[in-house]
Amino acid sequence: MDKKELENFLLQLSDRFFLFAPQREDDILKIKEVENIEDIAWSTEMPINSWKDIFLPPEERLFENVKNNLIESKTDYPPIACVGVHILDLKALTLFDQVFGPDSYYQKRRKRTILIGYSTDLSADYKKHKVFSHNFEEDILEHLAFDVFILKLKNGPLKIYSGSEKGQNILEKFSVSSYQNIEFAGPIAEKGPDKRMLLLKDKVDKSFNKKIWDELDKICLACGKCAIVCPTCFCFDFNDSANPESASRCRQWGNCFYNDFSKVAGGHKELDTVKQKIYFWYVHKFVRIPHEYNLPGCVSCNRCSQVCPVGIKISEVIKSILN
Amino acid sequence: MLNIYQPQKAKIIAVNQESIDTKLFRLRFLDKKTQRDFDFIPGQFAQIGLPGWGECPISFCSSPYDAKKFFELAIRKVGNLTSKIHTLKVGDMIDIRGPFGNGFDLDKFKNKPLILVGGGCGFVPLRSLIIDYLNGRIENTVLQIFYGCLNEDTLLFKKEYGAWNRQAELSIILEKPSKKWGGERGRVTDLFKFSKITNNSVAVLVGPLMMYKFVIAELKKRKISEENIYLSLERKMYCGNGVCQHCAIGPYYVCQDGPVFSWSEIKEIPGVI
Repeated sequence: MDKKELENFLLQLSDRFFLFAPQREDDILKIKEVENIEDIAWSTEMPINSWKDIFLPPEERLFENVKNNLIESKTDYPPIACVGVHILDLKALTLFDQVFGPDSYYQKRRKRTILIGYSTDLSADYKKHKVFSHNFEEDILEHLAFDVFILKLKNGPLKIYSGSEKGQNILEKFSVSSYQNIEFAGPIAEKGPDKRMLLLKDKVDKSFNKKIWDELDKICLACGKCAIVCPTCFCFDFNDSANPESASRCRQWGNCFYNDFSKVAGGHKELDTVKQKIYFWYVHKFVRIPHEYNLPGCVSCNRCSQVCPVGIKISEVIKSILN
Repeated sequence: MLNIYQPQKAKIIAVNQESIDTKLFRLRFLDKKTQRDFDFIPGQFAQIGLPGWGECPISFCSSPYDAKKFFELAIRKVGNLTSKIHTLKVGDMIDIRGPFGNGFDLDKFKNKPLILVGGGCGFVPLRSLIIDYLNGRIENTVLQIFYGCLNEDTLLFKKEYGAWNRQAELSIILEKPSKKWGGERGRVTDLFKFSKITNNSVAVLVGPLMMYKFVIAELKKRKISEENIYLSLERKMYCGNGVCQHCAIGPYYVCQDGPVFSWSEIKEIPGVI
C-alpha cells in the first residue's frame, strides 16, 4: 500500500466512523477529530494528549435517577476510528482492556471503536525504550490490542496488519487485500513478564525511605497534570447529581494529587502530604499495576515529564530509585 | 454483559438506635431471588447508597447463616449519605452492591484461641464472628472479646452482651465514661492486663488506626505472631472492584484484597496504619 491508497482507505472509513488522529496545532502534536485526512500527522512522536478520553471520558453518565431508581443511562456510543496510534499508546490501551474487562460501559464504548496503529520501520526509536526487542510481529504486535496496524517501511511503502476480526472485516470491506494477519497472543510476552518491570516493582516498593521522595515533596506542586496526560492513569470517582432536571450518577476522572481523592466523611485523608501523593502515583505505575496484571503501568511515553510545570522527569526519578 | 455498578434495592425491615450516633438496619432485598441467592463472609462489606447521595462502604454485622432471609448493617451518622440514611424508616429502601472484599478466613481460626479487639464503631464486623461463634460455627475455639469505646453512649449491641458473656469472655473499657460507670476506664490495651492471652491465639482487630498501633505492639509483647494478627482496614472507595484506585495501599486494594489483612502482609507499606 502507498500513501495515496491509505488516504483513500481512510476517506472511505470516514463515512462510517468519526476519525481521530494526531495533528499539528501550532507545532504541537495533538490528538483531535480529523477534518481533512491530509492533516493527519504520520509521526512516531508522542502527541501531547493521550487517547484515553475516547475510552474513559472525563465524565460519563452511568445511571439516570428515575424516581429514586438508578436506571442505566442509554448512551449512543459513537463509532470512532483512532488513526495513527503510537505503539506505546497501544500498550496503554491493551492495559485498559485488562483493567476495564468487566466494565460494561467501557466495553460498549470499546466495541464501537477501531484502533489503527502506526509505526515506522524498526529504528533507534525502539531501542530507546528498551522494552522492545527486534522481532516486530512476535514480540510486539502479537501482544498489542489493535484492529489495523500500519508499518511504514524504510524506503516508503506501507505494510498493513490486521489484529482482530473487526480489523480484517474493515480491510476486506474497503478492498485492502494485501495485509498480514496477527493473532493476539495476550498482553504478556511468551518469555514472561518484562524483567525491567519486575526489577522496578521491587525497587519502587521498597523506596519510601529514599530521599528522592523528600526532594519531590519540596518541588512537586501536586497540580495533577501528570495524571491527566498519563495514558495509564484511569482512577475515577462517582458523583451523584441532585439536580432534579438531570438527576444521575456520573463517573468522573479522579486525580490522586487532589485532596478529595482520599478524604473520607469526617475529614480524614490517607494521602495528606505531597510526598505521600507522588509516591502513591509512582506505586500505582510501578508496583500495583505490575502486581495485578503482570504488565508495566508506565509505557514510557514521557508525557508526564513534558507537562510538569516544575520539571520533574520520570526517567530521572526512576534512575535515582535504581541507584 | 452485567453492569457491575448496578445496585439492588433492599427494604428496611427493622431499625434500632444502637448508640448515640449509630443505627442498626435490618434489610431484605426487594427481589426475592436476590435475597435467596445472597451470601457473604464475616468481614465483607457492601457499598450502600441512595440515588442522589452516592455510595459508601459498610461492613455486614449479621450472620451469613441468616443471609438468605436478611442482613444487618450498623451505620454511623458521619457524612451526608449516612445522615440521610438515618432519616429512613421501616419500609424505605437502600441501594446495595456487594458483598465485596475477602472477609475473615475462618479456617485460619480453627483450633486456636480467638481474640477480637474492637474500637468504637469499628466493632461492627466483629459481631458477625461473635454470632457465628455462639452458634458453634467456629470450630474448637475459645473466644475473648475486648471492646474499647469512648463512653456508654457510643457502645454498640448492648442488649447482646449477656449472651456473649455466657459463652465468651467479654471485656469492655471506656475512655471517658460517666460517673455511673462501674467498669474499666482507659484504652482497649489496658484490658490485656486483666486477661490471660496465650501466644498461639489469633487476634482480629477492627477500629481506628491509632488503636492498631498500640494493640499490635501489645500483642507482639504477648508473643503473638504477625501472621496471626488480622486487621480490617477502612478506606475511601467507589467501585468496589479494584479499579478506581481510591482504596489502594501498596500493591493491594482494600476493596478486593482486603479489607482484612494479616499484619505480616501489610506492615511494610508506608503509612498503612
